[in-house]
Parts: sequence; C-alpha cells; structure tokens
Amino acid sequence: MLANVAPSVFNGLVLGAFYAFVAIGLSLIMNLTGTINLAHGSFLTLAGYLAFTLVSRGTSFWFALVVAPLLTVVVGVAVERLLIVPLYKRDPMFSLLLTFGLALIAEEVYRLIWGPNGVPFSAPGILGGGLNLGFMQFPTLRLFIALVLALAMALLAIFLWRTRFGLRLRAAVQDTEMIAAMGTSTQMLYMVNFAIGIFLAGLAGVLASGLLGLSPTMGNALLMPAFVVAIIGGMGSLFGSIVGGLLVGLAISVTTLYMPAANEIIMYILMAVVLLIRPRGLFGTEGLFG
Amino acid sequence: MADHKISRETFIKGAGIGTVAAASVGFPAFIPSRGEAADVLRIGLVEEYTGVFAAYAVSETRGAEMALEAWNKRGGVMGRQVQLVKEDCQNDPGVTVQKVRKLINQDKVAAVMGTINSADSLSASNAANSLGTLFMDSGGHTDDVTGKDCHWSTFRTCHSTWMETHATGYAIANKFGKKWYLITPDYAFGHALARGYEDVIKKIGGTIVGNDLTPVGTTDFSPYLTKVAAAKPDCLIVLPQGADFVNCLKQANSFGLLKKIPAAGPQVELEAIWSLPEAARVGYWGVEWYYKGDKVFGKSNPMAEAFVSQYRKSHGEPPTARSCFGYVTLDRMLWAMNEAKSVDPVKVAKKLENARFHSMWEGEAYYRGADHQLMWPMWFASIRGKGTPQDKYDVFDVLDSQPADKIEQSVAEKAKVCHIAYPA
Amino acid sequence: MKNRQTQGLIGSILALILLAILPVKLGSHSILGLMHLDVSILSEMLLFAIAAMSVNLLLGYTGQMSFGNAAYFGLGAYGAGLSIHYWDVKFIVATLIGTGIAILGAVVVGPFLLRRRGIYFSLLTLAFGQVFYFIAYRANHITGGEDGMSFSRPYLGFPGWHVDVREMSFYYAMLILFVAILIAFWLIVRSPFGRTLQAIRQNELRVRYLGLDTNRFIYVALIVSAAMAGLAGALYGLLIMFAAPLMLDWHQSGDFVMIMILGGAGTIWGPLVGSFIYVIGKDIISTITETWQIYIGALFVICVLAFPRGLFGTILNAIVRRDVGAPVSEEAPISEVPWDHGPTPNAAAMATEQKER
Repeated sequence: MLANVAPSVFNGLVLGAFYAFVAIGLSLIMNLTGTINLAHGSFLTLAGYLAFTLVSRGTSFWFALVVAPLLTVVVGVAVERLLIVPLYKRDPMFSLLLTFGLALIAEEVYRLIWGPNGVPFSAPGILGGGLNLGFMQFPTLRLFIALVLALAMALLAIFLWRTRFGLRLRAAVQDTEMIAAMGTSTQMLYMVNFAIGIFLAGLAGVLASGLLGLSPTMGNALLMPAFVVAIIGGMGSLFGSIVGGLLVGLAISVTTLYMPAANEIIMYILMAVVLLIRPRGLFGTEGLFG
Repeated sequence: MADHKISRETFIKGAGIGTVAAASVGFPAFIPSRGEAADVLRIGLVEEYTGVFAAYAVSETRGAEMALEAWNKRGGVMGRQVQLVKEDCQNDPGVTVQKVRKLINQDKVAAVMGTINSADSLSASNAANSLGTLFMDSGGHTDDVTGKDCHWSTFRTCHSTWMETHATGYAIANKFGKKWYLITPDYAFGHALARGYEDVIKKIGGTIVGNDLTPVGTTDFSPYLTKVAAAKPDCLIVLPQGADFVNCLKQANSFGLLKKIPAAGPQVELEAIWSLPEAARVGYWGVEWYYKGDKVFGKSNPMAEAFVSQYRKSHGEPPTARSCFGYVTLDRMLWAMNEAKSVDPVKVAKKLENARFHSMWEGEAYYRGADHQLMWPMWFASIRGKGTPQDKYDVFDVLDSQPADKIEQSVAEKAKVCHIAYPA
Repeated sequence: MKNRQTQGLIGSILALILLAILPVKLGSHSILGLMHLDVSILSEMLLFAIAAMSVNLLLGYTGQMSFGNAAYFGLGAYGAGLSIHYWDVKFIVATLIGTGIAILGAVVVGPFLLRRRGIYFSLLTLAFGQVFYFIAYRANHITGGEDGMSFSRPYLGFPGWHVDVREMSFYYAMLILFVAILIAFWLIVRSPFGRTLQAIRQNELRVRYLGLDTNRFIYVALIVSAAMAGLAGALYGLLIMFAAPLMLDWHQSGDFVMIMILGGAGTIWGPLVGSFIYVIGKDIISTITETWQIYIGALFVICVLAFPRGLFGTILNAIVRRDVGAPVSEEAPISEVPWDHGPTPNAAAMATEQKER
C-alpha cells in the first residue's frame, strides 16, 4: 500500500495544478465583478475545439496553443460586452443564471459544428509520452501543464504588480467606486479582466483536450471542480486558487487510494468545511460578497 | 410624469410579452402534424440525442431510418406506410418515462424502440409495459432488461452484458493471462459486466487483483491508473464506455501503461475509437458487429453489403454496431407486425419469439422465447490505429467469433430471474 | 388596494379553472391534445411548480437563495419508492414517508446552513446537495445507483371508484394538492411568522436587536421549504414510478431556481407560470427539434436580460407601478420584491407582536 502513496501524492499535486489552472480564470472574473461564470466550461471546450480545427488545417500544436485561446477571448469579450455588462450593476445571481443558459446553448452549438462524437486531439510527440521519475512513469503532458501554469502565474503576477494597468486592476478589486472616481474607465478594466480570465480558461482548455476526450460535454465535467477550487482557495485571491487546486487534487487522489467511493464527495465536503469555518476561503479577502 | 419616450428596455419587454402571448396562442400551429392520417403506422424512437451518448443515438437512428425506407419502398406494413416519431430522452430516466407516455398516449405509436443508456432502457421498458405496449431495446445492455426486469412486452437486440463478458473473457485469459485488474463504471451496466467477468474468472481459476469503481463521467483516471501500475496485472480490463472509455484509454496511454499492460474489455464502439488519438487506439475488445470481413458476414452476405454501401453513400462513413442495432430492431419489429397482420402487442410479441431469420451476419438469429434476448454471435477484435491504406475507418481486426448459445446464460439459468407472462 | 386583492382573487380563480379544464376532452381532442401533450407532463408541471415554490419561500421570505433543494426533492422520491419497495405501503403513506425523509434531511443539514447568509449560504446548500446526490448514487444496493429505482404506484383514489385514465385521476389529485399548497403558502405569508421572515429578509440585524432568534425562524423556513420540495419529489417519483440520483443533482436545483426566476421570484403564481414555460416549453420544443437546448438556453438568457422579474413578475410589476408609481430599482437584490402582499411590514410592530405571543 505504501508503494502507492508516493505516486498518488505526486499525481494528486499535479492534478491539483490542472484544477488550479482551470479555476484561475473563473476566480479572476469573480473577483472583480462578482460575475459567476457557469459558462466557464464552455469556453474551455471552445478553445479545445478551435485548437483541434487549427491543427487539422495544418498548424502546429504550439501555434494552436497560443492562437486558440486568443480566438476564444474574442468570443468571450463579445459575450461580455453584449450580455454580461448589463448585469454588472445587478445581483450576482443573475450572471450565474445567464451563464447557465449560455452553457446550454454552447454545448448544442458545438454538437452542431463539430458533431456529437468526440474528436481525436492529443499533444504532439514530445508531450505525448511519459517521463520516468524513478518511483513512477508520469505523463509529460501533466508536468507540462504544471509548468505552463507556473509560467502563466508568473506573467500574471508581473502584470498585476509591475504595470500601471495591473495596479488599477488590483485597486478596482479592492474598491471599484474609488478607482472610478479617480478617473479610470471601469468598463475598460472589466473588459480586460474578463479577457485575461477567458485567455487562461482557453489555455487550460487546449491543454485539457490533450488529457481528456474532446467532446461537446468536456467542459461540463470540469466546471464544478473549478468552482469548488475557487471557493476553497478564496474569493479575491489568485494564490488561493492555486493552493485550493493543489489541496483538492491531493484530497481526491488520496481519497481514491483509501476510500474510492468517497472521492467525488470529498471536494464538496472540503468546500462545506471551508465555508463553515472560514467562508472567504483560505486566502480570500474579506467583504467581497458581504 | 417623466418623458414618454419608449426606452429600449420597455420596447424589448413589450415585444417579448407580445411574442410570448402570440406564440402561446398559436403554438399548436407550430407543432408538425404527426401523422394525422389514419393509415400511417407510427413507431416511437426514443434516443439520447443530447448528452454524452449523442453520437450513438445518431448511429442507431440512421440504421432505423434505413430500415424504415426499405419497408416503405416495399409498400409498408400491411399496406400502411410507416413513420418514425423521434423523441429525445435527454439521458434522463425520468424524461424517458414522460416521452414514452407521450409517444403512446398522444402520438398513438404502435410500439416503441430505442435507448442506449441502461437506466433509460429500464425505465422505458417499465413505462411501455405499464401501458401494454411493445418496447424493443435497441442499445441498452444491462442484463436486467432481459433478466429480473423482463416483460412480455420487452425485447432486446444488442448483446446482454453476460454475453459480452463471456464472448471475450476466455479469449482474454488465453491471450494474456489470468490476473486481471478491472476498472468498472459505477452503474448497473458496469456492475453487470464485472459480475460476468467474475464468473469467467471463477470458471478458469484466475484472480481479479483489483476492481475500482469509477463514477460515470470521471474525467481523471490517474488515481486508478497509478494503482493499476502498482498491482502489475496480466491485463487491464476497461469497462467504462463512451467518454469515460476515451478518457481512460487516453490517460492510460499517457502513463505508459498500455505499453506494459495490455488493455482489453467486453465491448468497444467504433465511434469511441474514431474519437481517440492514434496512440491510444490499442487493445483487444469485444465487438458487437463490424461492417466488413468474412468472420462477420460469412462467405457472402448481400444484405449486409448493400446496407454498408448504402450507408456509406448517405453518411460518408461506415455503419457501426449501433447502426446495425437500429436497423435490425425496426426491421424485425415491422416484419413481426406484417406477419401477424396486426399491431396488437401480444400478437406481435408472439410472432417475434423464436422466429429465426438471416440478417447482416453469418448464420441464423432469433429472439429467444425465454427472455426475449436476440441470440446472435459476438466477435473479438484487436485495434489497428491507422486503419488500412484503403480505408482509414477500418480500425478493427476481427479475430474470432462466438455463437450465441455459448456465451449467454442458458434458458434454465435465466428462468430463475425472468418469467415471461402474457396478459390473460 | 382592496381592488388589487379582488383582482388577484378573480385572476387566481380563473387560472385554476383553466388548469382544471386543460385535460378535459371536447369532442375527440382535449386542449392538451391540441398542444400535443400528455396529461402526465401536466402533472409534472404542477409538481415542479411546487418545488419552485419551495425555493421561492426561502428567497422571497428570508432572502436566501437555495441551490440544493433538489436534494429534498430527490429524498422525497426515494423515500416514497423505498417504502413501497420494502414495505408495500399505500399511496398516501408513501407520500408522507417521502416528505418525512426530506424533512429529516433538512433537520440534519439545517444547523450548518444557518451559520451563513447570502452567497455563502447558497454555496453551502449546493455543497450539501451534492453530498446527498453522491450518497444516492453510491448507495447502489439500496437506491439502484445511477440506474435508479423502479417501483409500482399504489392505487390512488377511493375504493371502488373506477377512473378510466390512471394519469387523469393523478392529475386532478395533484391539482387539488397544488391549490392546497398555494393556499398554505398564502396563509404562511400573511401570518406573523411570514411577516417576521420578510422582516428578516429586509434587515436581519434589526430583527435580532428586537430580541428575536432569527436562526430559529430561518430554520423553520428551511424545514417548511424542504417539506414542500420533498412532497413534490415524492409525488414525482410516484408519477413516473421511478427515482433516480439525477433528481438530487445541482442541475435539478438550478432548474427549480430557473423556473422560479422565469415566472417571477417572490410572487405566488410565479412558480406555476415559470413551470409552465419551462416544463411544457421544454417538452414541446424537444419534440419539435433536436437542438432544443439552444432554445431553452436562449430563453434563460432573454429572461435574465429583459425579464429579471419573470414573466408573471413583470406583469405584476407593471400593475403595481400604476398604483404605487415607483419602479423597482435594477440594482436591488434578487430577493427584493415591491408588491409584498400588503403594506411594507413594520418590523418593530411585528416583532413586538411576536414577542407577546
């Protein structure tokens, strides 16, 4: 049994990095405007399908890895400007319900465009194999995902802490009224924030399509874990999302080892515990939701 | 009062309310008239057109529609043209019940066929039976449909889970060894498969070194796969279907597992293999039907060949086992009605029972009287990821076939759980 | 205002008459037949309306949004099914047992939910709802797991009363029950208990300062809400003679919330209007086209953008504006309703009244 623990723990952490990656876009969007984006999974799936289409037209995987999320951002920003902007001044529950509807539409649209059957998509040769880590053989793709996550977080941190725009964004998370009073266009902030969130979702989506089967319903399965991770990590904290992701990944992996029947419940139990003890999450800032 | 200019919002609201009002009054006009003509024979087709099994639903429907066309070209059933009334059961057993009721009570279908998800098959079977209507399960595999939940009004075309495990279990043991690790999807279909293999293992004196129950819709199999690697079985038995099958194999491949431990299982669908990247197209699997090869067709089978070529022409890709299920189910249902010269469910059911026929595979088949299971052979195949140079879809390499009476439980065994009793 | 009340009463009676005659046959077609529906789906509409009312109770009268009411709905269905399967009970007993199990669920989970308000409350309801879902899923020796559980429906009706269509008698029984629940809802809302809940929704701190234990009120509201959802669930299970884990899932909870929003949160008839739009609409649209999900999704989107008060709510709002003159602000929280059945509750007066009991 002990021989299983090390691989399970390692796998859990890397899985957690994947969940954190999936959650980070969601968290970013929730932080600034309180928008609960239940269409998050749909954006993930869209990026995957766009990458698939690009690659089948002959582009390289790396090209698709960057371009597909960008194309997804275009769609995302269009959705935000047209449908979500009217909801900013309303109760956050409305954005939740609207995006719930969008997710339904998206799934059917994907079925119509790319067919109901999944499409074959995988990472290219180098990423497709495994690395011998000594105690186990581990898929290179998963390690790559963790790497990309670290890179993306570093870039995001630089953006948020070292640029003026980033500073304004952070200030807006703290106090939107004040930053508006000081003359910054809040609409611009919202749009850029949403765009970054969707870009991260798109990136995660392309990578997820290498891990999972790419089909119209792929994103649905990832939505709840993303949500749970964002809650556990804490509203208002990106670092929290990462820690939350790692925690959830580890919990699922270890639970599967000792009590497989509970491995789906465990993340909801964790969520309930966090909500009961410290509702703003492990690293969340107070007052984001009252 | 403030300015009376109509704001954009008010306009949208007004237009919205107006549209809804008009629509609700005029709604009936929008519903396509479903065979109001008294001489049209309507058959209900319930499938999971939305959700994870959508691809199989499409295949089954295509097969059924080809059978429909063929019958209508020949003059229909008892001189009446046949019409398929389709409903989406949305992969939800509750919706399935409502749709079956609607088909029978409102659309006045003579019989219902369809379903892929075993849960939907069970609930459709019960719902149809409670309304005294024939239900032919084209694609739901769980043993219970022709086992403890059997009904005089229910027939099943695809193989039962017992047939699947027993068609493949012995071959797997002979090829790879008797130490197996099972990954089982946690629902009745999965459990039934696991039970079937446990029976085979007992008979050959092997061991099941591990059996992990995975929730349906599992996206990440890595925790289970790490356990598999550690247990070092002779063979990894993959029982999940659909998206779970794809995820499991894709991830097993990425963990390097498939190079060391062969993967095998009771059933694989062409649609699933087509959606996998080449590197993950491996393994040895039970196959319920295939569109070419004399191991499936026998020395010559013009009916099958015609079916395959027409299907390919219409849809651009070869038919799958699902297409075959859809075709055979509707074809036999209409044949029975025509023979019985009646749509009375009892008469039709009695005609279907034990009637031998030739179809798109070698040999004769029949719906067994004891449990209404279609007794037909099953095949065992390995995967060639690229297909053949002539045909990229040709990914199955059929190795052998098993006759139905070798792989299904005997009439005596089935009688313990299933009692077919016609209404008085 | 007296005028408004009479208007409301007349409207309600008309609506009930309409519901009663929908399945009746005129010649060879019933109105339902013209719409190409089965009476079974109409019963489902009533039951989902009751489930949406359970969410409405919490939202409109404590200001809390529950995303886990499907758990009680599902517990009701399983309770009824299991009791028939193991003990072969009669119809009403099965219904009561189902409702009882749902209430038990709320009693157990309630104290945890009470510790939070607002979005955290909602998230907790979601989390606990999912825990129940997975228990139903995994306990497959009892519940049948993902395949669900079939059971037969015990006879409903008076002994010896022969009714031609089984589902027809079920529908009328459901209609009577629905009316009863509607009346009960209306009475609760007008009672001191209901008024205290509304005061809590408006300003919980104030009510607490007046000496009332708001937790106790919300707990009772939770249990009543769970009872309603459980009752609807038990009857739904009996309607389709099936119980499945999907009935407890958050998608189902979301459907109930959506139904409430479509019709109008905080109104009495909103849930029924919403249920009509959603249940009947989905049934008809999914029959017409395989791409029905696009239309239902679009319906949600349009509703949120243009009709946040729901169809019934928007109409009601327009009527109220004529009398009162001030529209509800867009930025008001989702639980804010301007047409509280009567004048704005005076928290202090109510609290004093409550204390004196």
